[in-house]
Amino acid sequence: MTDTLKILIVDDEQIVLKSCEAILSAEGYDIETTLSGKDAILRMEKQHYDLVFTDLKMPEVDGITLIKWIKNEKPATGIVVITGYPSQDTIREALGVGIIDYVPKPFTPTVLLDVAARAVEWIKKEHPVLKEDEEFPPAMLEEIQRVIKQYKDRPGSSIPVLQRCQQIVGYLPPEIQKIIAKGLNITPAEIHSIVSFYSFFTMTPRGDHNIRICLGTACYVKRVEDVLDKIKDILQIDVGEVTEDKKFSIEAVRCLGACGLAPVIVIDEDTHGALTPKKVPAMLEQYT
Amino acid sequence: MEKHRSNLMICAGTGCIATGTHQVRDALEAEIKKHKLTDEVKVVLTGCNGFCAEGPVMMVFPEDIFYQKITVEEVPKLVEEHFLKGRPYEKLMFKEPLKKSVIPIMHDIPFFKYQVLRVLRNKGLIDPESLDEYIARDGYQAAAKALTEMTPEQIIKTVKDAGLRGRGGAGFPSGLKWEFASKTEADKKFMLCNGDEGDPGAFMDRAVMEADPHSVIEGMIIGAKAIGSNHGVIYVRAEYPLAVERLQMAIDKCMEIGLLGKNIFDSGFDFELEIYLGAGAFVCGEETALMRSIEGKRGMPRPRPPFPAHKGLWDKPSVLNNVETLAQVAPIILNGSEWYRSVGTEQSAGTKVFALTGDIKNVGLVEVPMGTPLKTIIYDIGGGMTNKKKKFKAVQMGGPSGGCIPEAMLDVPVTYEDIIKTGAIMGSGGMVVMDEDTCMVSTSKFFLEFTAEESCGKCTPCRVGTQVMLDLLTDITEGRGKEGDIETLEDLSHDIIATSLCGLGQTAPNPVLSTIRYFRQEYESHINNHYCQSGICGDLCSFEITDACKGCQACVRACPKDAIVGEKKQLHRIMQDLCIQCRSCYNACKFQAVDIKPALKKDKQAPAVKDEEVTQ
Repeated sequence: MTDTLKILIVDDEQIVLKSCEAILSAEGYDIETTLSGKDAILRMEKQHYDLVFTDLKMPEVDGITLIKWIKNEKPATGIVVITGYPSQDTIREALGVGIIDYVPKPFTPTVLLDVAARAVEWIKKEHPVLKEDEEFPPAMLEEIQRVIKQYKDRPGSSIPVLQRCQQIVGYLPPEIQKIIAKGLNITPAEIHSIVSFYSFFTMTPRGDHNIRICLGTACYVKRVEDVLDKIKDILQIDVGEVTEDKKFSIEAVRCLGACGLAPVIVIDEDTHGALTPKKVPAMLEQYT
Repeated sequence: MEKHRSNLMICAGTGCIATGTHQVRDALEAEIKKHKLTDEVKVVLTGCNGFCAEGPVMMVFPEDIFYQKITVEEVPKLVEEHFLKGRPYEKLMFKEPLKKSVIPIMHDIPFFKYQVLRVLRNKGLIDPESLDEYIARDGYQAAAKALTEMTPEQIIKTVKDAGLRGRGGAGFPSGLKWEFASKTEADKKFMLCNGDEGDPGAFMDRAVMEADPHSVIEGMIIGAKAIGSNHGVIYVRAEYPLAVERLQMAIDKCMEIGLLGKNIFDSGFDFELEIYLGAGAFVCGEETALMRSIEGKRGMPRPRPPFPAHKGLWDKPSVLNNVETLAQVAPIILNGSEWYRSVGTEQSAGTKVFALTGDIKNVGLVEVPMGTPLKTIIYDIGGGMTNKKKKFKAVQMGGPSGGCIPEAMLDVPVTYEDIIKTGAIMGSGGMVVMDEDTCMVSTSKFFLEFTAEESCGKCTPCRVGTQVMLDLLTDITEGRGKEGDIETLEDLSHDIIATSLCGLGQTAPNPVLSTIRYFRQEYESHINNHYCQSGICGDLCSFEITDACKGCQACVRACPKDAIVGEKKQLHRIMQDLCIQCRSCYNACKFQAVDIKPALKKDKQAPAVKDEEVTQ
């Protein structure tokens, strides 16, 4: 179907390489595979590839490093990410550097071929690459459709669907809410009423590192407010906001259930307990 | 299971994980391997041990030796001393505060000595991810008995006779709830578990779900049989990822070996169980709201009747029990109602788990017989105030629905009926201890902020009333309080209580009423004298250094505004025009030489009068 496009697939799992190769070469693409990012760079120095499909988490040279290298050295090569965790958190950096699309793992042959076809389009037309926050990668939207399909016929599924979608996109902007409403066959107003009611849902994107600060009673008694003030002071943002460089966001939560460590905050998945304003700068330093 | 000479039960509760459980575990395993002790000594990660204040903690089984505050650096020494040389390592043991001698045996430590473990029967003893270990501790025997030997009527009678009451807060007799649902005819019924622990300052349900998920599942199987339900849902907060993970693992295991699913124990009884993730709304602790939330709607309460036992989830008869209540069920079925009543009081039988937090030394999770005096919990188990120089002021029970109990009432036994007389409520079991540096007006404002935000908005008195009360309290703490505000607060409170539909509104004013009742003088001082004695309300206080100052410069270093001047070993003073009333100096002073005074008059803000202001 094409004038043999050359594709390099980089993944540290042999099984992924094998299945990609089987699916794509059957469609007439010229496929090469490698298990390491380092080897991928060596190969690209020797010859030109139209497209590179790469995993993000790999030993030694990881996906992000590889993508940055390609952007600098081989800007004509299109990049597609293969990832097991297609959430805003993991893929944001890749989007920021500039990729065409991504393939969520595990994938079906159709998904892989769709993405490949779109990538080919991109190479031909030299489409602008996806930019963070401007639009949603097609594969992300497909992922949402899959979630909707999975839950569609179950009564009362709007909350689990919203939870999953928030995991995928990172937040729930109106466009995504509309897609969900259509998929579940309920009005956007109803979806919005749920999003606005539950504190777990957010309509603003979070930073790379989300700081959840506990405003429970034990933390209150242990002066969590002083700690919060210090954090706000350093980051120059308020609760519910994101720093300009999108590195940090602050979210207030009602009791994290770790009162023994009060005052306590959670950054990403790490719990920081027994905090004082003095400890704040060093703690934030770990994430910059 | 393989036998080892020693088992190291290291706590993997949230508190201890944050203080380094996993690193200590890795270090222990490496060290044990190094000394070729792998066949003799086994490291087990358990659920929350409860003694969160001293984490990471570890118990050596079978000797019952307790180690606390273990660091990776100390591990080699610990392994060498205890397991090679055979002498327990004193450096990491619990030290008696006054005598400075160590207490090696866990059950001799006061924190553990006064506790009676029923809900937390397996705490620190089993690996929460192992079904075998739960079964080895008599797990699922009660379920087997209930399913194969007992009729629903017998189960309900046993639970009723035991006097088990809802541990979520309201204390409704659980057996009675089951009876109502059991008697309702329907093609489908639901057995629900409320794991949406919303009270700030309470974390016992989280600990139970994380440390002993099977105890909740077993309670649900028994309850399901009693009411005749084949479908169960556990509603858990999304903020508790570890609890969700462990519950899911436990459910999968049970499905695998037939403890859940079709024809359990060959009894012909089917029961399926799933987890539903809450999305963060305090009002969803209310049963009708929780059920609407599972239906995928906004979690708003509806009027009762019809009661959920008749028309609940999807309009089918449903029973909702709290996590801790369900964890009490299996031992009751196994040991009988007489046994259960052997501790506790006539009207409040059995034990209750409390989360002890705040300005108290031994922060953690404790389970005591009902009727234990508050004093015993706070001073004997809790070890008194963190800062021994500070006096006890109040203990807050029942979260945003509860109230503050002052020192004069500490002899009160913890039972549903006695606690309510103090103006607080038993609640789900959060006990937040506050010392004299706490401002009671700010504390009630804190709770009102919570309820005003969490009010679902359905009833106007709750939605608007809590906001008006919050505005009044904000005015009082910022120096705009006026005569009559206290009375207005009281009036509003009674109106909101009388006209709200659900428990949230009916109890939201409690924190205000109880603090007015016991600490009215503080409200008056805020309003009339513009003076916050505890120095929390920055607009209503100033700080002054007294003659007790030794000139140690601790406050100079602590002050963020460089507002304190004074040479070493000489009396320091605060430059009032620079002071922002942040309390840093007050907290830093080891000699209690910083006094909290009424606010200075603000009208002297004209420039160039620095010296005059300082001498005020």
